[in-house]
Amino acid sequence: MRLELEEEKTEKLKAVIALLIINKAGGLIYNRTFGEGLNQLNSNDYLVLAGTFHGVHAITARLNPLREHQAAHYYAQQQQYQHSASGSLGGASSSGGGGGGQGGPLPSRPEPPSGLEVMETENFRLQCFNTQTGTKFLLFTDTMQANVDVAMRKVYELYADYVMKNPFYQLEMPVRCDMFDRKLNSYIREINNSR
Amino acid sequence: MPVQVFSFYIFDRHSHNTGLSGGGGAYRDSRSAATRAKDDAKLIFGTVFSLRNMVRKLGGDDDAFISYRTAQYKLHYYETPSSLRFAMLTEPGALSMRNVLHQIYINLWVEYVVKNPLSPVEHKNGDGVRNEMFEMGLDKFVRGLM
Repeated sequence: MRLELEEEKTEKLKAVIALLIINKAGGLIYNRTFGEGLNQLNSNDYLVLAGTFHGVHAITARLNPLREHQAAHYYAQQQQYQHSASGSLGGASSSGGGGGGQGGPLPSRPEPPSGLEVMETENFRLQCFNTQTGTKFLLFTDTMQANVDVAMRKVYELYADYVMKNPFYQLEMPVRCDMFDRKLNSYIREINNSR
Repeated sequence: MPVQVFSFYIFDRHSHNTGLSGGGGAYRDSRSAATRAKDDAKLIFGTVFSLRNMVRKLGGDDDAFISYRTAQYKLHYYETPSSLRFAMLTEPGALSMRNVLHQIYINLWVEYVVKNPLSPVEHKNGDGVRNEMFEMGLDKFVRGLM
């Protein structure tokens, strides 16, 4: 009897549990749950959660243990580049730069720190995707789910197609787009049923 | 499999940083290395504390925060029932270090700090544990991973 109950419970656990979208100011603009596995919070708690995550994300980006090492490396490369460039130009004006070609190879800029990308806990996994403009997509999945990157890319694609291309959508405001809801729902259902 | 370990922190339940073992990147900054390390410890405690509360809220009280990863590093976390918190920063590709942190707790912390009758119950002011045996053992253990 107990076993049956447990089986039912594991069946109910869905692969992709929830999606949150946080705007660049840390406000929650989209919040949707697809399956069980997380506690249900009230809308105020979700807002607090989004703000907290936004802050934590900024801190995790600053906590780079190799930043001094990378900065020193970049600085050394830049010095070398400038040295060789001024050598070949005979000390000509430095304002002409940007052309490249003379001097050594352009110093490669160190990758900007990325901030939290994946968080793991005993019960779930949180994947965070930070877009170029600072919008964050949080996808909560169970710990076994594979290919979350692919799902995340698809969700971003749907967002680009059905939210950003919606002429009535106001930037940074809560997302209320029926088409986005529908497409997202059917895509997530597809993932959750394929397991 | 060798793993690059950048740093290791132990926080007691009052957030005092009790243990620290640095390694990895070369330091160059206008602030002194000690100030930098102190600032980083505070940031790490804040991060870990917020994430842990967030995880508890979402996953229920029995859920536990294990690790997070960025493109540059990975932070592993272990919390004992007495709210002693262990955090370790490693390279991003590292596998789960939960058992390693657990081993540090059992074989080093309990053996050398808890069982030491001269050791204070609480380590205030962030001075660290200042326990030679513990620090030597920790250093040896962490270097064994790398």
